[in-house]
Amino acid sequence: MIEELFQIERDAYRNSAIHRLDARVKIAITFAAIIALVAVPYSIMIYTVGAFFFAFFFLLWCCTRLSLVVYVKRLLSIVPLWGMIIFFQIFLKNKYYTDYHVVMSLPLGISIYAESIEFAFILLVKFVICISFIILLSSTTKMHDLLEGAARMGLPPEFALALGMMIRYLFVFGYMYRKINETLKTKCFDAFDRHLPYRYRLRQLGYTIGTMFIRSYEVGERVYTSMLCRGYGRESYLFVAKKPLKTYEWAFLLISLIFIVAVPVAVWLTAISLF
Amino acid sequence: MHIPDSFIPIWQGAIYWIIVLVFITLALKWAKDEMNEEKLPLVAVLAAGIFALQSFNLPVSMGTSGHLVGGALAAIILGSPFAAVFILAMVLIVQGVLFGDGGITVMGANIINMGVIGGFVGFYTFKGLMGMTKSMPLSVFFAAWLACLIPALAASLELYLAGTFPLVEGMIAMGIYYAIIGVIEGIVTVGAIYLITTARPDLVDTGAKTATGA
Repeated sequence: MIEELFQIERDAYRNSAIHRLDARVKIAITFAAIIALVAVPYSIMIYTVGAFFFAFFFLLWCCTRLSLVVYVKRLLSIVPLWGMIIFFQIFLKNKYYTDYHVVMSLPLGISIYAESIEFAFILLVKFVICISFIILLSSTTKMHDLLEGAARMGLPPEFALALGMMIRYLFVFGYMYRKINETLKTKCFDAFDRHLPYRYRLRQLGYTIGTMFIRSYEVGERVYTSMLCRGYGRESYLFVAKKPLKTYEWAFLLISLIFIVAVPVAVWLTAISLF
Repeated sequence: MHIPDSFIPIWQGAIYWIIVLVFITLALKWAKDEMNEEKLPLVAVLAAGIFALQSFNLPVSMGTSGHLVGGALAAIILGSPFAAVFILAMVLIVQGVLFGDGGITVMGANIINMGVIGGFVGFYTFKGLMGMTKSMPLSVFFAAWLACLIPALAASLELYLAGTFPLVEGMIAMGIYYAIIGVIEGIVTVGAIYLITTARPDLVDTGAKTATGA
């Protein structure tokens, strides 16, 4: 995950209509889209809703002028683990269906059910589109802007201050992580190499993690001293200046929110299906 | 262990959010009372450190890997389970919003698992065992092991309640998997706390400092 940190921030520093939007607009649209998608019941209606939402996401992504490869790479880095759990759904019964029809019987009494395949696909559609909106948000918004946007939207100041510092440290850790990984590679150390004794591999990783902690303390201490020198005190909080949204940002936000609410409601009321 | 969006129905996600908001409020109170000038950088560094720790994939078995959680580590070093709630909430916000690891509607459930359950189980197991055994490594190991295993079981229970994974299979799979990762988490946490209490004993404000010194 930490390897992606630098690439995400590089993408966020590009310039496009979506990049220039206020972070609050993007946060609100992303959260609304995810909430709307999750709120859709586990039914095949998600296919149609998902198609509209994905079209909306795709349109926004095209406006970012970022390559589709960036999106696919990030998606592929997230999907595999939970993709496996979604895949296992095809063998399982769940409470959302009453009747199950066996599509294929396998040894050891394992069966694949038509309804379970449908459920797995419903989960996959919801999961992938939710992740897509997160990728859009993080690839087009600098971390600091996200934090300021969240602070303006009511994130408690204690959180905002600590999060701000944490984000700065993340990059320090990112560099340290890279350096340590390079060092381990230089020494031909592979934590997954079965030829090496398990205890040795674990000890090396333990040393690495311990070193990261000690170095983090040192960094923290230096920052603390610098902050004191600059007048930092107990009551200091991240200063976030007031910044009203521009007219076009309000318009974009309202149109997007209407779309996000109207699509599932319309699909549910009219029972239209694209598939 | 990071449950993603869509695996828990929205109404259940809302319930977890409401529960976790109570703990976040208490964690914020802890931050206001306890997070002084000296502790703030430490909290931020620990949060970034736990984020980085969760990036290290540790070999488990049969080519599978897992990552550490860090709830017990945060609670033990900062001397409060609410510190773990505060720190894990920050870590999960960054992971969920920036990296898509975890989710938005399920963030309440994830913070409950790793922050609240992980932090409380880790901290009180550590305190209880320290009182009984006076052994820092043993107490930290079991605290970290339980703080890794029990949140995983809680996650499988939540997935069962959501209807997206069966209870018995989920408990067995998650239980075995995280019991193994928990051993690694225990060893690494002992190592990390030992290193910190040796190199910088002033930073740890629990019984651990006294115990190592003893």
